[in-house]
Amino acid sequence: MTTLLVLLSLTVGVYLVAVLEAWTTNGHFRIAAPLCSALALLGRESIVPRKADRIFFEAAPILLLTSALLGAAVIPLAPALIVTDLATGALFLNAALAYVLVALLMAGWGPDGAYAMVGGWRFLGQVIAYAMLIVMPIMAVAMRAESLLTTEIVASQAGLWNILYQPLGFVLFFAAAMALAFVPPFDLPTAQGELAGGVEGEYTGVRLAVFRLGRMVLILTLAAATVTFYLGGWQGPLLPPWAWSAIKTLAVAATMLLAGRMMPRIREAHLLAWGWKLGIPLALLNIFLVGVLVLVLP
Amino acid sequence: MSIELLSALVTGAALFGVGVYGALSQTNLVMIMMGVELMLAGALVNLVAFWRFLHPDTPAGQMFVLIVMTVMAVEMAVGFGVAIARFRARGSVEMEEASELKG
Amino acid sequence: MISAQGLFIAFFGLAAVCFGVAVFRTSSMVRSALALLFSQTAIGAMFLSMQAEFLGVLQIMMMATEMSIMAIFMVMFMMDPGGLGKMEMTHQKGLSLISGSIAFMAAVAVAVFVDWGPGGASPPDAARQTRELGIELLGRSMLIFETAGITILTAMIAATAVAIQPLKRSGDR
Repeated sequence: MTTLLVLLSLTVGVYLVAVLEAWTTNGHFRIAAPLCSALALLGRESIVPRKADRIFFEAAPILLLTSALLGAAVIPLAPALIVTDLATGALFLNAALAYVLVALLMAGWGPDGAYAMVGGWRFLGQVIAYAMLIVMPIMAVAMRAESLLTTEIVASQAGLWNILYQPLGFVLFFAAAMALAFVPPFDLPTAQGELAGGVEGEYTGVRLAVFRLGRMVLILTLAAATVTFYLGGWQGPLLPPWAWSAIKTLAVAATMLLAGRMMPRIREAHLLAWGWKLGIPLALLNIFLVGVLVLVLP
Repeated sequence: MSIELLSALVTGAALFGVGVYGALSQTNLVMIMMGVELMLAGALVNLVAFWRFLHPDTPAGQMFVLIVMTVMAVEMAVGFGVAIARFRARGSVEMEEASELKG
Repeated sequence: MISAQGLFIAFFGLAAVCFGVAVFRTSSMVRSALALLFSQTAIGAMFLSMQAEFLGVLQIMMMATEMSIMAIFMVMFMMDPGGLGKMEMTHQKGLSLISGSIAFMAAVAVAVFVDWGPGGASPPDAARQTRELGIELLGRSMLIFETAGITILTAMIAATAVAIQPLKRSGDR
């Protein structure tokens, strides 16, 4: 029952995130935009490149969708509305999202095309830049909650939300989440206009629809994770908990999609330099500060 | 002895055997390292099986597994560093050609 | 006769061994690296079915990134990453098959013939396991943990130093 409810809310959420993305890309806010484009994609012919590695080519969009859905399984939408409340929930989210990398590598190597391959390997470089910046802020959040259960993490923010308690961690996690979901300005793997679509350039028809759906679910999962870890989850004054979750998640997703439109695409070398030379010392400083606060404050 | 313990130990033994085959039969350094990774994975399976079925209430077993995972990561990092250096010096990492100490 | 846990362990174990064998049978390099990745994922699933939840999730997470890095190193250093050239890349095949089989049979013999003693206690639940593991790491085994940390740091510095490009100094050979 809870699984069905979570799936239903995921579907509605994904549809709204797709509307938001179409709005940030085109400037027109059309509620029917994802439905029209999905029907159009399903109706188009599916072209398979001539010497594609079939196993990878077919498996990549499905693996992307699966890993994003598995990540969404440990995120609480309301006090009892979670698919599986694993004891290592925060770490499991990270493990599931690590397979986004595998899916994009498969999508890059599968079609046997130069642009796709470059896009895929570029994403590996991006992963090396942001991987620690996702795990270390999660560690600091788990330090405050003294548990890896996502429901515990939300409950520990009853007094003060983590965005105010650990703002440095929030900034790092938000940037790293944008890089994981490869939204602009971190959209190196699917660089529009530079790599002719990159990893999703060789996909058409049904497979492209699944790939895009997987990406929307990924953005939604990461927005929900940001809300769970830093914005207090379902807590709020007047409305029921699920309404607060929905509002906060959609607000974070809209911010993620809008924030990058103002900046040019970040080059890989710069991303790695900023991530390792600035990001990791800041993440370690964040852990230290949170440790001091946890020990000092009652 | 329970059948779960036996199946886990046999899996660990099979992974170790495949790893030995790979490490001895491949000529490229990266493939040899994959064989070593398989051997370490077999050892990890055995460790977790021993923890779970013989001493489930001692966390020291899990700590041992963490240390072995650390060793796996460290060995891969240093091995790939050496591979890069060798590739720059010689142009290939084939171990058949690496029979001298010079260079 | 065989419990659900035993079935899961056997299934994931078989998957791990099959993927492990596929690593050395395929001639495409990226397929080889990703087969190793899925073998390690199956091993992580085995850990999960043996109720070592933290270790299973950690194994699945670490191995995804590590094996992807191995994939790119294979593409960089192997002569035929696509595997379409049908090159022979093995040597001493007979010897290695015999060694592998002897290693396997020796390990199985030890597993079967040794009396492992009474087992059967049940492990604590996952949240307590993680908590006890943390207390063990930072309490009794603190020295081991710190030594592992220093080892990792040394390895990082050593690998970076070995892999970094030497600066071109003018006037040198």
